[in-house]
Formats: sequence, C-alpha cells, structure tokens
Amino acid sequence: MSVAIIDAREWQKTFDLRTGETVADRHPLFGMVQGVQERHPYPGDLDVAGNRWVTDTALDLMEQYDPSFVFLTYAQQYFSGRYSVLTDADWPATVAAVFEEVERFVARSGFTPLIVGTGGMTPLAASIDLTRLDGLALCTHWSARYAGLHDPSPRDLQTVAAHPEIERIVTRDDFRQLFRDSPSDGSRAPEYLLVAREGCMFKTAGGAFRQVRRVPSPGYFIPVSACLEDVSDVTDIRKAVDRRISTGRVALIFVEGLGADDFPWPSRKVANGREWFFYETGDAQYLTITTGRHQVFEYPPGYRYFEEDGPGKEFPFSGYFRSVPEDTIGATSAARSIAVGNRSMFMHMAAGADISLECFARNLYNQGTMAVIHRSDKA
Amino acid sequence: MQCNYCEWRCDLTGGKPGVCRMYEEAGGAIRERFPHRWSSCISSRIESIPFYHVRPGSRVLVIGTMGCNFSCRYCSNAFIAKEDPTIVQERMLQFSPAEVVRKAKQMGCWSIVFNVNEPAMSFPTLQELAEVARSEGVSLGCLTNAYTTEEATELLASIFSFFNIGLKGLSPTFNREHIGIPSAEPILRNIRRLAATRHVEVTTPIIESVNDGELEQMARFLADVDPEIPWHVFRLLPEDEMKEARYPNVEKIAGALDSVRSILPYVYFHNFVGSEWVNTLCPGCDSVVVERFSLGCGGDRLKAFHCVEKGCPDCGREIRLLGDVAEQWNSREVNR
Repeated sequence: MSVAIIDAREWQKTFDLRTGETVADRHPLFGMVQGVQERHPYPGDLDVAGNRWVTDTALDLMEQYDPSFVFLTYAQQYFSGRYSVLTDADWPATVAAVFEEVERFVARSGFTPLIVGTGGMTPLAASIDLTRLDGLALCTHWSARYAGLHDPSPRDLQTVAAHPEIERIVTRDDFRQLFRDSPSDGSRAPEYLLVAREGCMFKTAGGAFRQVRRVPSPGYFIPVSACLEDVSDVTDIRKAVDRRISTGRVALIFVEGLGADDFPWPSRKVANGREWFFYETGDAQYLTITTGRHQVFEYPPGYRYFEEDGPGKEFPFSGYFRSVPEDTIGATSAARSIAVGNRSMFMHMAAGADISLECFARNLYNQGTMAVIHRSDKA
Repeated sequence: MQCNYCEWRCDLTGGKPGVCRMYEEAGGAIRERFPHRWSSCISSRIESIPFYHVRPGSRVLVIGTMGCNFSCRYCSNAFIAKEDPTIVQERMLQFSPAEVVRKAKQMGCWSIVFNVNEPAMSFPTLQELAEVARSEGVSLGCLTNAYTTEEATELLASIFSFFNIGLKGLSPTFNREHIGIPSAEPILRNIRRLAATRHVEVTTPIIESVNDGELEQMARFLADVDPEIPWHVFRLLPEDEMKEARYPNVEKIAGALDSVRSILPYVYFHNFVGSEWVNTLCPGCDSVVVERFSLGCGGDRLKAFHCVEKGCPDCGREIRLLGDVAEQWNSREVNR
C-alpha cells in the first residue's frame, strides 16, 4: 500500500494513497518523513525561497533515508516565468539562482548530477480564442501549445484551418499513428488536436484568472548534462540513468522552464518528441523520461478530463492520475530512492521513488506538502 | 444617480466609479459596464464550491465575472476581485447567456454556479442568464457576500436557487478592519431573507485570535435562522494582504467547533487538505451519510453517498439535500 502524508502546516494526517482512507498503522518511516515535512514548510510556488526548499528538504530526507537515487525538480523559475513580469535582465539572474541551488545540492550530497532542462519559455505573443466555436475546445494541465477540439461543426473546422496562429490540425488517427508504439492506445485523445504557433497559447472555456506572461518556446530539443553522452532522445534518459545507478549515487535533476539557450553548464541537446510534436513540461514529459517510453496518451492534451473526475475516482490526492504508473525509475530500481520537487502533485506518480516529498499547491495556492511512501521495505 | 444594488449605495453621478467600478450612470439609469464578460467558465465538482447539500457528486459549470464590493484583507481571488476591471477585460471570456448554458450542457453540468467574485457585480447579465438557464432546465447557484440592498436581495433570490453566503464575522471592528465594511447587519438580514425561500449554506473563514471567538454566537444566529442550515467553517488560507499570516491551528479550531455541533447539525471544517471534518452525519443517529475528501482550497470531492433517496440509511431521518437524488447527475453531455 502506498501512503500519503499530508502536512497542511502544523497539522498532519496519513492516508492510503489509492483509497484516501485514513491510515492508522504506524511505520518508522512515517515519523521520519513527518519530521522532514514539519521542518520544511513550503514557501509557495512564486516565492524565491521555493527552490531553496527543494535543496534543503532533499538533503534532510537523504540524511534520514540514505538513498542511492535522488530525483529532484526545481520549478520556482517556471512559475515566475509564466506568471510574473520578468525583464530581460531578470531571467539570467533567475537561472543563476536555480543553478546555485543545484550546485549546493551536488556539493553537499556528493551525488552525480544528471540534469535535464525541461524546455525554455518565450514571451506570450498572442492568444488564440477558441471559445466561440460550436464544438468544445479544451486545454488541459496548463498546456499552451495544444488544445483538443471535440465535436466540431464544419464551420469550426473552417475557422481553425484559416487561423493564422494555428500551426497544425491533427486528427486523432494521425496523432495515434505518430505515437503508435505508446503504451496507451490514444482512444482518449481529442477528435482533433490543435497546435499553436510559437509564442501563442490557446484560450478555451476555462479560467481566465491569471495573466500568463510566458509560454513554452519551441522545445523540439531540450538540454541535458554533457555527461549524458549516450543520450540522443528523451526516451534514452531512463536507460542512461539506470546504467549509472548500478555503479554509483545518482541525482536526476529537472530544471523547469529552461531550454538549451539558458543552460549554463556544458550540455547536449536531445530530441524531446517526434516530428511536429514536442513535450511541454508536465506529466507526459516526466513519464516519458522516467519510463523511457513515449507517454503522450496516458493523459492526452485536450482530453475530456472532467469525465474522469467524478465520484469513485481513486487516488484523490494525485490530481487527474487514475493509477500508479508502472516501470518508472523509482518503481523498478532495487536501490533506495527519493524524490523532492516543487512542480506539482504528480511527482510521486512520475518518479515512483520509495519516498516522494512535494509541494501541495493547486493553482499557486500553497496548501502545504505531501509525502508519498510507495516502499518501506528496502534495506 | 445612486446605485442600489449593494449597501454602499454609491453615487455614480457624473461618471463616478463607485466602490466596485462595475456600474455606471448612463441615460438616467444604472448600467453594467462589462456585460457578458466572464473570468471563468469551467467544469468542477459541486463539493469544490463548496456546496455539500446540493446534488452531491454532481458536475457544475463554475462561472465568475470580476470586481467586488468588499476589500477582504485575505482575498483568495484578489487578481480578479480587486483588480481594476478595465485592465482585465482583454483576457475575459465573452459569452452570451445562451452560450454559457450551452457550455454547461456540453460539459455535462446540471447546474451553473457563480463563484470567483461577487454576483452583485453583474446583476443584469445574471438576470439574462437565469432566464435562459431556466428555460433549459439548468439551475443556478452562487457564492455571495450578501451585502446587497433589500431590493437587490430579491433580485438574487429571483436569479439563484441555491446560495453559499459568506458570513465573515460579526463585530463591527472585525468587519471594518478585515472586510472593509461598517457592519455585518445587512448580511445577517439577507441570510434570514434568502434562507426563508432558498437553499442556503453559509461559509465563515476563521482567522485565529481574530474572529474565532465569535463561533458560538454565529452558530446561534444561524440556528435561529434555520436549525439545519449547513455551515462551512474555513481555516483561513492566508493570501493577499495577509499572505504572511500564520496558518490557523487546526486542532484548536476543531475543538472549538465541537461545542457548536450541539447548536447546528451540519457543521464542516475544511479549506485544508485532508480535513476529517467534511462528512455529513445524520442528525438523528450520527451515522455517516455522505463522505467526502477535502483537498483544500476549492478541491473537495464526494467520496461516498449513503443516503437512501434523501434519508439516512440507518434511521431513515431526512437529510437536508437539494435536488432529486435519483437524477443521473453527470450524464448530461449533449452534442451540438
């Protein structure tokens, strides 16, 4: 049984991750993890201390658990880049700050870092308004480049075909064909996938709450540490990490919102998708990296997410995830593993680490932290 | 020219903006400045609003506009409620009332709930929406601060069939310092009025050592209005001007609420992840009749619904619920 320990600031509770039922059993690991959570309250997604929280929390957890594999995500700069007004001078300073945290982690832990920049960001140039279509247009999970179009009218198809900011319209069959080797069959992909041009994002019926400032820049290639010389594709990273885990202590570190041009350390570029499709930062990219297989269709862009959000859905603390993904790095490794990150509540699913500790923030509202213990039986 | 929608009764003569900046004088009448503009039009779960006693487990379309007539120091939606409404127009959604109802049906929603900001900001648009929604069999609910005039409260009652009313505090000092209004008296009056003919739930955010001393007094007021009114006590999530404030102590507030459960049967304590005070207990036999998950700030969801029709499965006592529980709440998707 996987357990979730919620820390809502000065109040903690332990649950069965799948059912959401309260867990009364005590395991020595629970108390240890609760102590780490208590010592490291999350500062918030937009707080400059957010990345320091990742390093501090990871080092503390490592001291208690002694893992051989560590998975980290630094994301404060991604949230700030997306929603804050940053000048041209602000961004390099922001990048420098996050790498100071990476350096601090590496220096203190002694782990070999394998760093992945999940893709750069570019100022928002235009919004593509899909709200007036007859059919239903949906963007999911903060996607800017992709929207799903469901049940379009002939007029809708003419409108989107003529739109200058829409780069491509892809039928479900063509989308499935592109990733025909994916574990999921793509049946939940939208009828049509709309692809925005560089710098543009879709506006669909949904929230218009916060002003978006930056969106993912073309991320056909993303940067990885130069030491990953055996990696040329995003799906190769998994094998490269596995090889290194077998011989030493390894930290796979995701730095959110960074493209090849931003990466301050020696790096190489790896393919981040296939043909016209590239991964935006998010669960699909994470899962692709941690499983070594393209995972476009598990929670496909623009799908009818609300149909899966009713009573009876399992994993209530795991957002839209319906199951624990198989074959992730942490799930298959014999070595002790931890994951710490401030990106979202999907880290415990994507990493599969024995112990994950992540911020519990939704729509930038800081509600505390969640630790997930998948395994407590490793020596 | 005086605006009579809310208790501020602003003078809008000669282009004066008023407190909310959402109305203007035009041709000898009060006119809505930004009709048919929406900040939100998204499907969600009704528990997330929160409504715990309206069609449990159903999918709702959440809508909102912009602006507010309060200036709560802890506002969670300040970027839309406190922002100059002129500035946010370019990112607003533009839907006619018929289009809003159509979006609701496309996403399989039986109800539309006005959330995010204060519905009194958009009365004319909401009146139009109500007319269309009624003709399509879609019900409307809202969250409101209920700081409306008596005549505007009648308008609210004509538009919405279920309400969650914010009762933020009782003392004039609290209301002046934290909410920016002189008194809660109009709110108390309107809770009484709306509860007389509509389904009403009430929400109170608690700030430790500030308004937690009023819990019993508020409970007694609510019980006098309606002895079975559902009451959501929120642990304050510090935002906006109170972002640095301490998160209130859960155990302390939960302990204080134990005593008010003898005054009101449906008392909930949430707005934080994992709360164990979100289930509905039968007032007759204390059986758990509805179970929920609390995911904090707008994320609650139904876990299990045990009622038989609207009654307790153990003792048969009627449970306060709005809506026919036999409806297939989430199967209403329609094509064009």
